[in-house]
Amino acid sequence: MRAVSLILRKDVRTLVRTPALLVVLLAYPVMIAALLGLVAGYANAKPRVALVDEDGLPAHIVVGQHTFDVAATIKEVSRNVTLVYLGRDEAARELADGKIVAVLTVPPGFVATLQQMTKSPTLDVSVTRGGTSGRVRQQVQALVYTLNQKLQRAYIDANLEYVRLLLHGGNGHFLGQSFNVIGLDGTKKVLDTLPQSERVKRIQQFVHDARLALAQTGDALRATAAPIQLVEQRQRGRTASLSAQVQSYALGLTITFLSLVLAAGALAGERDENVLGRLARGLVPSGRLVAAKVALAGIVATVLGLGVAFAFAAVIVIGNAPGGEPWSRLPLLAAGLALTGAALGAVGSLVGALAREARTASLVAVLLVLPIVFLGLIPPEVFAAAGWISDGLPFAHGVRLFSATLYDLHPWGAVARETGWLVGLGALFSLLARGAVRPFRP
Amino acid sequence: MSLLTARGVARRFGSRVALEPTDVSLAAGEVVALVGPNGAGKSTLLSILAGSLDPTEGLVERPERIGWVPQRSAHYGRLTALENLRLFAALERVPSRRADELAREFELPADTRASSLSVGNRQRLDVALALLSSPQVLLLDEPTSSLDPVQRERVWRIARGVAEGGGAVLVATHHWEELADLADRTLELVEGRLA
Repeated sequence: MRAVSLILRKDVRTLVRTPALLVVLLAYPVMIAALLGLVAGYANAKPRVALVDEDGLPAHIVVGQHTFDVAATIKEVSRNVTLVYLGRDEAARELADGKIVAVLTVPPGFVATLQQMTKSPTLDVSVTRGGTSGRVRQQVQALVYTLNQKLQRAYIDANLEYVRLLLHGGNGHFLGQSFNVIGLDGTKKVLDTLPQSERVKRIQQFVHDARLALAQTGDALRATAAPIQLVEQRQRGRTASLSAQVQSYALGLTITFLSLVLAAGALAGERDENVLGRLARGLVPSGRLVAAKVALAGIVATVLGLGVAFAFAAVIVIGNAPGGEPWSRLPLLAAGLALTGAALGAVGSLVGALAREARTASLVAVLLVLPIVFLGLIPPEVFAAAGWISDGLPFAHGVRLFSATLYDLHPWGAVARETGWLVGLGALFSLLARGAVRPFRP
Repeated sequence: MSLLTARGVARRFGSRVALEPTDVSLAAGEVVALVGPNGAGKSTLLSILAGSLDPTEGLVERPERIGWVPQRSAHYGRLTALENLRLFAALERVPSRRADELAREFELPADTRASSLSVGNRQRLDVALALLSSPQVLLLDEPTSSLDPVQRERVWRIARGVAEGGGAVLVATHHWEELADLADRTLELVEGRLA
């Protein structure tokens, strides 16, 4: 331990003497985390969907007594997608190329069927293949759902107009035919003028019951059209940028970069300084040298990770955002940062041991950071192999540990599980790094 | 009395043979010169004797306190000379006052980072580092290649002092003439084997 402590103190002193390196080590991953957050938040938020109009949609469509401005309606219902008007062939080609993710086709006769209101018109949809098809299908379904909601009111109003005719009588139109009905009100009046008999009384009772029942038709129709209504309650939740997920990934990415680059550079630096031969003379065996670099990564990850966590916590408190435990869980978070930093430091040590010089080690470490992070970001249900590979690296376990530490009501199960993973991976990569430390070569 | 004995030590790097099986013995009180052309295996032999490099075959019996000056500077460039001396003193479990004494003795700048020192001063620092543990055997690999005449004389004086104190010194050099008055005997290494 004495040798590890001495080499560690030397490394910390060396690091403190290069403040520019410290700034870069902190600023670069924070910047990348912010950019990744933006990309993750907004990329594919509005997928391009082609609209193929084979019916020749008019500028306005009248459904019942409602007149729809077609362009305005399409714009309103397609907030979550970017609709582009294409011909059938062009749309098919762009779908095949991946330039668009879905094709929504308005078939011939669509508007006529819609206006007749005797059966539902259809829209045809083709969705791209691959991992995002499910999400795209949902977005197109959401578009059609929103359109249905708008038409639903027109359909109900039109149907209620027929009910009104049945109740009160008057002139009406259906399938281009005009007609006049007496209605229940007129029927009642006629019945009242007839000589009262048992048969007339039974008809009067029916008219009375029918008038009461039909008066409730409006609510019944609306309930039938939308059995469950979604009413959105306004909540004071966190913005996406302060969410648990963003904070966990920002911490994970920051210390992955820090720990990998620092440990790789520090271990390869021993070779650059030509001191491996001196240390190898029984002063600092390779295992302890690796341990010192792992400890360095753990300490620096803890200090700078806590800095990032303090910044998040301060913003959360100042912004009075609810949820999470911004202060009370910081000690647990510190332990998680140290453990994750150390495990990642072991991976960095392996890189440093395999590389011949510090510059190569640092470059390789930088190049490794993004693949490691992206593997951890890909949901396993989208690409299972990414999940398996990511399980063999400390990043995703660190992120899950941070998330549980900061936000779970009962974090101990996840903390224990991820701690086990990180300890195991840290030990494995440390052993590999120890074996890979090349002997001094005069 | 032999202070250091190597029996049949050899070293390969991949398929390349850097040192054929070699026997070396250093007796108390002697200064031995190790000469030979570049690539003859001098540095490899000294590294093996110092314990920095494991031999592919053979055995080395060495004393507990051994000083080694490698051919290329071997210290931390971002630490000062004194910090280097104190760090290696701590690693060798030598009191830090020994580091302070050597820094003064070798007139090493106290506050300058080692990477900013002249080549000569860096070589002096390496010699000082080798003397931290008051070694019984001192192994010097081209120790004076960058030193001025005064500093060279200082190194040879130190080597003589180690030998006169009952220790042994092995010096690898291209400049045999420098050691003509100092060395008690000479070993010549050619293409990895002692001539």
